[in-house]
Amino acid sequence: MVRVLLFAGLREQAGWSSREVALTGTTLTPLTVWGRLRLGAGGPASPSEATTAAAPQPPGILVAINHQFASWEAPLRGGDELAFLPPITGG
Amino acid sequence: MANPTPLLEVRLLAEPFAPLIALEAWQAQLATRLPGGPAAAESHFIGRVRGHSSDGRAAVEALELEHYPGMTEARILALAAAGSERHGAAAVLVLHRIGRLAPGEAIVLVAVAADRRGQALRCGQELLEALKHEAPFWKREWRGGVGTWVQGNTPF
Repeated sequence: MVRVLLFAGLREQAGWSSREVALTGTTLTPLTVWGRLRLGAGGPASPSEATTAAAPQPPGILVAINHQFASWEAPLRGGDELAFLPPITGG
Repeated sequence: MANPTPLLEVRLLAEPFAPLIALEAWQAQLATRLPGGPAAAESHFIGRVRGHSSDGRAAVEALELEHYPGMTEARILALAAAGSERHGAAAVLVLHRIGRLAPGEAIVLVAVAADRRGQALRCGQELLEALKHEAPFWKREWRGGVGTWVQGNTPF
């Protein structure tokens, strides 16, 4: 399983902050998880789309795996914590 | 001369803090803990919550700051370590608020101690810019009971 976290505006759009995603036979990446969870589409994944969804990389969103910035193409492993980060506005 | 390991202190604070009192406490620590003796230069930056919205058009009631527990602290610490190494700074202090803040409240304090003014000023400026863009924080402005996520940082 991979734990997926959403923050700020992303969390509110999706209506959840944390979710577990099962690892399947194919390699999961942040991009495939994004597509699976229909995060860009404003709705939950349907079973038929769940395995084939391929979403374009959303502009402005950063990815972190286990608290480190990572690529949208980085392979995910069981136990990883994946976070999608909307544009950062600190300080 | 090899630069001794810098003293780094990073804290996220859920309650209002008084930056000048925090600075005094930090300075008192430096007086006894800096291995190379007292630092000749210090830079300090205090950021406060604006009284108007980021587009400048409305009064803000409050600013809310969300963070990513664990990653935010780790990122700031990594940025402070890299910045102090690059500029040869002796000590770095970063205090950053989280939660709900009122206009005028201190949101961030960045302080750097170094041997030279250039080191202290450059390290502080660079660290502040880096944490604004690379440490996961998200601001939400509250106006008339409605919260709006801020879309980007203000220009330098």
